[in-house]
Amino acid sequence: MSIVIPPPPDFSSHEEEVPEFNPGASSRTWYQYLLILAALVFAAVSVGFVGTIIWNSAPEWAHHTGTLLGGNGWQSPAGPFGGLAMIVGTLETSVIALVIAVVIGLGASISIVFLIPRRFRNIVATFVELLAAVPSVVYGLWGFLVLAPWMLKTVIPWLDSWPFAKELFGSVGQQDGQSLLLASVVLGVMILPTFVAISREVIAVVPNDLIEASLSLGATRWQVIREVVLPTAKIGLFGATFLALARATGETVAVALIAGGVANVQFHLLYPGTSIAAWIATEFGEAQGNEVAALMALGVLLMLVNFGLSLISRWLVSRQRKVLAVV
Amino acid sequence: MSDMIDLVESPEPDTNLRDEIRQISDRVRRRRQLRSKFMITLCALALSVTAVPLFLLLYQLFDRGLPVILHTGFFTQLPQTPNLITPNATGGVSNAIIGTLVLSLYASIMAIPIGVLVGVYLAESVSKLAASLRVISQTMAGAPSILMGLFAFSFVVRDLNIGFSALAGSFALAVLMLPVIVISTEIAVRGVPHTLREAGLALGAKPHKVSMKIVLPAALTGIVTGIILAISRAIGETAPVLLVIGGGYINSWKPLDPVSALPLSIYENAKSEWPSLRTEVWGIALVLVVFVFVLSLSARIWASRKQQAR
Amino acid sequence: MDQEFMAQVETKVATPSETLERGAAAMQLKNVAVSFHGRTAVRDCTFDVTKNRVTSLIGPSGSGKTTLLRALNRLHDLTPGAKVSGQILLEGTDIYRGDITVTELRTRVGMVFQRPNPFPTMSIYENAVSGLRFNGVKKKSILDEAAETSLKSAALWDSVQGRLKVAASNLSGGEQQRLCIARALAMDPEVLLMDEPTSALDPIATLKIEDLMTELKKRVTVVIVTHNMQQAARISDDCAFLLMGEDRAGELIEFDTTEKIFNNPIDPRTLDYTLGRFG
Ligand SMILES: Nc1ncnc2c1ncn2[C@@H]1O[C@H](COP(=O)(O)OP(=O)(O)OP(=O)(O)O)[C@@H](O)[C@H]1O
Ligand SMILES: [Mg+2]
Repeated sequence: MSIVIPPPPDFSSHEEEVPEFNPGASSRTWYQYLLILAALVFAAVSVGFVGTIIWNSAPEWAHHTGTLLGGNGWQSPAGPFGGLAMIVGTLETSVIALVIAVVIGLGASISIVFLIPRRFRNIVATFVELLAAVPSVVYGLWGFLVLAPWMLKTVIPWLDSWPFAKELFGSVGQQDGQSLLLASVVLGVMILPTFVAISREVIAVVPNDLIEASLSLGATRWQVIREVVLPTAKIGLFGATFLALARATGETVAVALIAGGVANVQFHLLYPGTSIAAWIATEFGEAQGNEVAALMALGVLLMLVNFGLSLISRWLVSRQRKVLAVV
Repeated sequence: MSDMIDLVESPEPDTNLRDEIRQISDRVRRRRQLRSKFMITLCALALSVTAVPLFLLLYQLFDRGLPVILHTGFFTQLPQTPNLITPNATGGVSNAIIGTLVLSLYASIMAIPIGVLVGVYLAESVSKLAASLRVISQTMAGAPSILMGLFAFSFVVRDLNIGFSALAGSFALAVLMLPVIVISTEIAVRGVPHTLREAGLALGAKPHKVSMKIVLPAALTGIVTGIILAISRAIGETAPVLLVIGGGYINSWKPLDPVSALPLSIYENAKSEWPSLRTEVWGIALVLVVFVFVLSLSARIWASRKQQAR
Repeated sequence: MDQEFMAQVETKVATPSETLERGAAAMQLKNVAVSFHGRTAVRDCTFDVTKNRVTSLIGPSGSGKTTLLRALNRLHDLTPGAKVSGQILLEGTDIYRGDITVTELRTRVGMVFQRPNPFPTMSIYENAVSGLRFNGVKKKSILDEAAETSLKSAALWDSVQGRLKVAASNLSGGEQQRLCIARALAMDPEVLLMDEPTSALDPIATLKIEDLMTELKKRVTVVIVTHNMQQAARISDDCAFLLMGEDRAGELIEFDTTEKIFNNPIDPRTLDYTLGRFG
């Protein structure tokens, strides 16, 4: 071929270097000392927060660790104070709530990112935020005065009419319709916005490249989501899940109002139960001496679980960022 | 050129293979399409399900709460305890409204200055302290609020011997607000363009002057939004104040007096034996929710307005 | 009216040399225009993509090459506000016709993107057969055979044969891009669209892919967008030159054999561009 080969035109742009701004490098002024002072105060508050609760629970840990972690039954005011019912209740309510929140939240996040036209996205986001802004005591009130009576009047008789209802659910219908299950459902609604807030962000940053590549191979919209978007966002979605779980374990008054407040290890979900946080809230007012320490010890447990879950979540979300940076 | 490439003769496309693939994909195409439609519909359904509780809740609140707050004296009177002679007496919730205002005022006074300064520090420093405080603030931001109550009880009520009081309650709420303010301030300050800072520095301004006169004003919207959101979260919290404010039945602005708060009266009235109190509770809940919604919506609207103005 | 319009087009777009014997058209574009939210990005594109030839789209940045290319496998379908008008025929059938299944169309018209984008969560093997899996092929023997064939076609088989189960992100940029080509070839498409497939690669990897294309056109029709004049000249048989008009919308200036476009184009702007006098 007798083609004149011209030099390729140069289209590369010159990116400007942005120098780092670092005030710490220059000599310190009163302003910087003020900032550091504030930071130290904040550090002190955080340490004090953790330290005070642990310190106050120490007597109970020293003598009754076994009872706290494995004992059933809470005998005020003298003890023993068994924490098993609360631990199990916390697990039950938060895991069920999590399942509800993740299933619905995943669908909702996918819809927000892929189905809702951009101009409505803000409105939907606002809705989800409002859902998160409703104070938990109001959810509790709703569950306690509306949903629980409704369970008692409508749902439970209906469940009772099923064949084998007794074997499945036991004989139900005490308290005022309060139950672990109802608490879990309301809890699920409460942690839903937490999950959606992170999961939709994680889903939204899956590179468009990959979505277009899969479309170009003939994938349907659902296949794009199922085979490409979700696997790519997997780590971050786990992060969102852990954060939602952390929220669920720490939720207090709603569970205190709806779960029924019975300190007994309970696997029948239509029976009343309690959780660690709810139990602290309901018992603390009347607690004296050792019982205060026992409740503080439950608080330590709650703190460990919550902080652990939060840190795992944080780590997962940051790992997701790194994964996407490689892509 | 071709020696640069490990190219074996490109294999002839196998027509049998191609036909088989085409056949399979033709056969399952409709099914895939239907499946996709179905799953996408499920997702849309999930989103609508999300809206259901919000609407149900708001409906109940207005339906049951509106008549209550229209009742004379609801905002201005002190609560009355019903008894056998006057079973319908409820009075008002002035103490709880004042209590909530008092609590959030003192909590803000404690949390805002420190929170903003720490946020600026985190945004502008690269020290080890900053890195660990960042992790701490994010962990604290998700900590169960009941723990703030335990902390305030042990430290303020008991160790400092201040007793059940507005001060103890606002301390608990301040601990709750602090990490939220820290995080949002850091984000807002980091969002200020480098060029703005460099312009200031280039004019010979001292770094702290640049920080106060240029960076903070530019980040103000984000900082204020964070503060409002922190307050709106604190206002609705029951667990921490439940343990430490003492549930006072008087209108008082004094930090050392026991006070009440809207979420606390909701919690207590809901559990009450008296039907009149359980009716009144919807009014209190309505006030609280309106309070919180107005705060968080105004924060959001303000933030987006400012963003558009830029 | 119609004649007037045709006359306009005539003066605007230089028609390909009559003398050339052209094979059958794989795709035909007739007055194709694409707009976003009512703003035209590219218009007046009328030319044929001939079977078993490489057609290149050249033109300065923003002249709508990518936009036009993406119209050819309906990737604009999901872009809000995007509208494609005119006619695009694949084997004589309008691909925007109501009864066309987009997923099927896209298996017949494959695409390779500017940045290598293998699926990061899949292995090399899974990437190669991802298209088949999307389309419901599950049988292992078919998948294995298709993976081998397509990886061989993309000149990747020898270097990855022993590590098919390794994550695709472990490959070099050039290998990743060839994996993306293999992935597209596995479905045996009739047309392969490539949007600056070598712009993210080093010169050696670029040469490998260029060689590959010459080999590929025996079995698949290639449409390639490129900024690199040498590349367009070296590998393409036909060439379409796009340029922005006064309203910043891209339009087809000239379409012809690559030799004509680079050696004696009809429109002086084409010569200016290929000689690097503006851009
Ligand atoms: N999704 C979109 N929404 C709105 N405008 C778009 C969109 N995609 C492309 N455009 C516009 O269409 C015009 C052509 O863009 P296109 O990417 O096709 O140019 P190009 O020739 O491929 O440029 P380059 O050589 O830089 O890749 C541009 O003005 C661009 O802003
Ligand atoms: Mg382009």
